[in-house]
Amino acid sequence: MANERKRLLLVGDNPFHGISHLSQERARARSEKINFTEFAANLVMSSLENGADGFMFSVSETTLSILQTIRKKTGKKPLVLYAIVPYAYEYVRLATQLGTLGLAKKLGQKIAFTGNSRAIITGLKGVIKMDPEALMKTYLLYEISRIKSSAGKRMNIESLMLHEVVTDMALALNSDWLIKSFIDFLLGLKIKPGFETRNFAYLISKFKEWDIDLSRIVIAAPFNKVGFQMIPSKEECEKALSEVRESNIIAISILAAGYLNLLEAAEYVQTLSNLKGVAVGVSKEHHARETFTFLEERLK
Amino acid sequence: MDCLRIAVVGLGKMGLLHASILNMMPSVEVIALCDKSSLLLKFVKKLFRRVQIVNEVDKLSDLDIDSVYVTTPIPTHFPVVSALYLKKVTRNLFVEKTLADSWDKAKELSELAENCGGINMVGYMKRFAVTFRMAKNLLNQGILGEITSFDACAYSSDFAEIKKSFKMSASRGGVLRDLGSHVIDLALYFFGDFEVSSATVESIGDGGCEDSAQFRVKKSGLDGRFNVSWRMDNYHMPHFGLEIRGDKGTISVDDDTVELKLDGKSKKWYRHDLNDTVNFLLGAPEYYREDEYFVNSVLTGNKTEPSFLTASKVDYIINQVQKKADVNG
Repeated sequence: MANERKRLLLVGDNPFHGISHLSQERARARSEKINFTEFAANLVMSSLENGADGFMFSVSETTLSILQTIRKKTGKKPLVLYAIVPYAYEYVRLATQLGTLGLAKKLGQKIAFTGNSRAIITGLKGVIKMDPEALMKTYLLYEISRIKSSAGKRMNIESLMLHEVVTDMALALNSDWLIKSFIDFLLGLKIKPGFETRNFAYLISKFKEWDIDLSRIVIAAPFNKVGFQMIPSKEECEKALSEVRESNIIAISILAAGYLNLLEAAEYVQTLSNLKGVAVGVSKEHHARETFTFLEERLK
Repeated sequence: MDCLRIAVVGLGKMGLLHASILNMMPSVEVIALCDKSSLLLKFVKKLFRRVQIVNEVDKLSDLDIDSVYVTTPIPTHFPVVSALYLKKVTRNLFVEKTLADSWDKAKELSELAENCGGINMVGYMKRFAVTFRMAKNLLNQGILGEITSFDACAYSSDFAEIKKSFKMSASRGGVLRDLGSHVIDLALYFFGDFEVSSATVESIGDGGCEDSAQFRVKKSGLDGRFNVSWRMDNYHMPHFGLEIRGDKGTISVDDDTVELKLDGKSKKWYRHDLNDTVNFLLGAPEYYREDEYFVNSVLTGNKTEPSFLTASKVDYIINQVQKKADVNG
């Protein structure tokens, strides 16, 4: 049944990083084309002009450059940001090259270089006491400062979201204290805490068990007609979604990484009344126009 | 045995990945973590609040452990695995690929495992990806007729921007062990044993390990070519693929798709078409499947594949490539 409520439409950033879950070959072809900040910034802006409300992105040098370019072009127009940290690919690549401890040292140097005194003091405390919570807070302050310095004051960080690898690892390790600490810290900064996950049904059951107030957080998870990355099953994820009263859930992978067309994707999303919105990546100018015009018509 | 008590040795990214997945399995209890780094251990102690944290393999002996995952850097596999067997910590071992950093050591570990008994397995997770499994099923059906040749590749951009092969890439064992081992294992899985006929390897700078390699293999009626490199441009995610030619058609397979071409017609399957679901998704579905298979094998006492013996054949091929490349200059 069609839903009457206005849904949030976000531009995703996977194409800007050369990621396709359907085909690595396709991703490489894209990344050869889309390695220009200007081109990517124009795609985001075109999406916004045609119905998108904001930008969901992993915090990386590429996306921060895109934000800088948008900032210069749009002037005073506000932009809603859903930022995902850490940018897993970059950190895995660095860990591969430098080892886990080498990565930690490199990150420490970067944080010190920003001159963000709150981050540095919290970080030093964390290192001395080997306190994971203090180190997490330092890292979050560092990422927030990077986003703000690129995006400027006119862009609003609506939510800072934990990348799926961190969220799902915390779920697997039963680290409720880490999740709760993340939520409390961000709420203290007046930023909505968010969680990207590939294990939506399990996350909902654990968060309920841990007494986490779902109305105060955002969750991004795959929802698509073919059940791609809907774990453990499409039915379980739909059931978990239907039992969530608060509508702070954003569907990702609605095209099942390009396996479905936009009409199929939209028709399925329309059947899920509890979704707050969707995030979709675009890789061409006409694709940006057509996608968000269509989604605005069908979903808003 | 209803529930396995498991320890993970080595807390890099693979150790954390396996510990997390294992912790999600109802028939598993992750009871201990072990790493040499005192700094890392201090941190991990606060992160894993209900798990024993130790800094020596010996200290696992008293913990009544059913099975151990070894996820340390490749050059340490031999001493760690040997110690686990000799100290009788457990007879059920899972080791991340490759089994060892040389053919001699891999052979020794296989023999040790054979003598000690128990269940042993090496983490060649590509075997558990739905696309490569589909290709294996098609080959088993003999759909291509007589297999005549194949091309295999393994590429990443992990070291594309690095001018010199620095220390870290050496500790990973070079590109042959890091990436190449996956496609070598897949080729052995698909076609059985073969021998290396020629090889060239390239090392950039003074790290001493391979950064790219090309080699040819042969067995009766079959020619194969391999191309591996971690210095490619635009391979944001590592890529593993094979093109297999038979007298009736071809199969092209990689992490995302399987394409079968027969009699001028083509059929393509995506992951989406191949029931690529698991109970908990972290990293990729194949990691969960691989761990679930190992755990079930230990619980039931069934032999695993790839066992140490099977996996040691990858170390043998890598040894042959290195030797042939030396001879070729």
